[in-house]
Amino acid sequence: MKRALALLLLTAQTPGGPPAKVAASIARLFGPGARVDTLQVDSGSVLRVSRADSLLGFAAVGNVLGKDQPITFLVAVDPTDRLKDVDILVYREPYGGEVAYEPWRRQFRGKSARDSLRVGKEIRSISGATISVHAVTIGVRRVLAQLTAWHASGTIR
Amino acid sequence: MRTLVGWGLFAVMAPCPVRVLPAQERTTVGGYGEVHYANPTGPKTPPVVNLARFVVYLAHSFDDRLAFRSELEVEDAKLEGGRPGGEVALEQAYLDYRVAGWITLRTGLVLPPVGIVNETHEPPTFNGVERPGFDHDVIPTTWREIGVGAVGTVPGGSGLAYRVYLVNGLRADGLSAGEGIREGRQEGRQASFANPSMTGRLEWARPGVKIGGSFWYGGTADTNSAVGTGTFGAPVALLSADARYDNGPFAMRAVVATISVSDAEAINATYGQSVGSRIAGGYLEGAYDLLRLFAPASSQKLNAFVRHERYDTQASVPAGVTRDRSLARRITTVGVTYKPTWNTAFKGDYRLLRNAAGAGEGEVLSLGVGYQF
Repeated sequence: MKRALALLLLTAQTPGGPPAKVAASIARLFGPGARVDTLQVDSGSVLRVSRADSLLGFAAVGNVLGKDQPITFLVAVDPTDRLKDVDILVYREPYGGEVAYEPWRRQFRGKSARDSLRVGKEIRSISGATISVHAVTIGVRRVLAQLTAWHASGTIR
Repeated sequence: MRTLVGWGLFAVMAPCPVRVLPAQERTTVGGYGEVHYANPTGPKTPPVVNLARFVVYLAHSFDDRLAFRSELEVEDAKLEGGRPGGEVALEQAYLDYRVAGWITLRTGLVLPPVGIVNETHEPPTFNGVERPGFDHDVIPTTWREIGVGAVGTVPGGSGLAYRVYLVNGLRADGLSAGEGIREGRQEGRQASFANPSMTGRLEWARPGVKIGGSFWYGGTADTNSAVGTGTFGAPVALLSADARYDNGPFAMRAVVATISVSDAEAINATYGQSVGSRIAGGYLEGAYDLLRLFAPASSQKLNAFVRHERYDTQASVPAGVTRDRSLARRITTVGVTYKPTWNTAFKGDYRLLRNAAGAGEGEVLSLGVGYQF
């Protein structure tokens, strides 16, 4: 779908650790006190999460265009490339904010890049939030596929 | 795809652990539209084709928090002096200031958040070529007025969202027996602010479920003391509830509304109308995606639907008015909506127009196409 083209490149890079919202999201998903390393990959970067030398998983932040604003989200996977959870980090539009609700995000858990993720099939939509539902679903699909490919090729490990 | 003008870098997949976006101005263009074919039964009623709506959505972000949003509409393709039909109008035009996730302040020409269709009116979002009759005669879509308000989601993941506005009121001189409050709307055109009105909505969402309740309350008298005095002179009070359910191939939606016009007698005496003191009704619609049976892997949809509407713009009448039973309408629509993508629709339906008087009944075959982007 063409909306995939709306995936936006983040232009700014913050030196040092991840910003507070990302750190809070990582702590929620992987438990507090996990070690977070930033891996530079191509033009972007991936967060590697570990504890005491054992890998807990990876996370990446993506942006996708909603009706007229970017939606900033985080995708976290476990060491077997299964999706742990999706977090909506910043939602800027006045409508469609339901994509941040846990009952909707929950539908992505446990999915892998091989699974099909389609609105109205595997992912239930939300009336009145259709644009955001499609946008975030495509965004998650892309980030999940990218993380899985990087992991498989050893680009991230 | 929505066009981004003035956005430097986009269309590149690059996850990175940074959430800060450049506070860059950008303009977004979108739109929706629909073309209709309608063939009523009976002699001397030839089929009519019409470019019913062509709407351009234009938004501009001044920074990460302040945005302008608008919809400019052309109805019936063309506007020409001395010819009936045709309209060029702003459907929405407002500024949003996002204070936080739970509150965005809004001012301008806004949509009263009443029912389902008024706010979510893009053709691919509803079944049937025409909007439901209820969404014309009871809830007068597309209803827009000028005012200020706030929209947002209740924090804590409760699934609740709200919208509340203070806007200009309706005008009693536009109320009518057949179309209720419809022509009482002022639509942002030199609107009288003599009767500021409140409108709002609370809704609850889960995947596949949305339930909402809406209200409108405000005077309509304007400066005519024969109709009423004070800010809330000749008030119109509207209450509405709606529900949408979507579970794989099956979808349903329902809306009910009741509108009380407590000074209908004075309005009728002043303007020579037969406005009902209560306007009420609703509809129930069920749909099933037939492609689930024939092509389960397809992401396209072929919704077969049936909708039954019952509403009466003279559900109650004041002294001096004899109920016109032909206003107690029953409309049954059966049809299909083919959606090759979620934002395009090819529609066909058959409408049975009935009323309690059995007068002027008819049937209409309609075809249509609609899109949004």
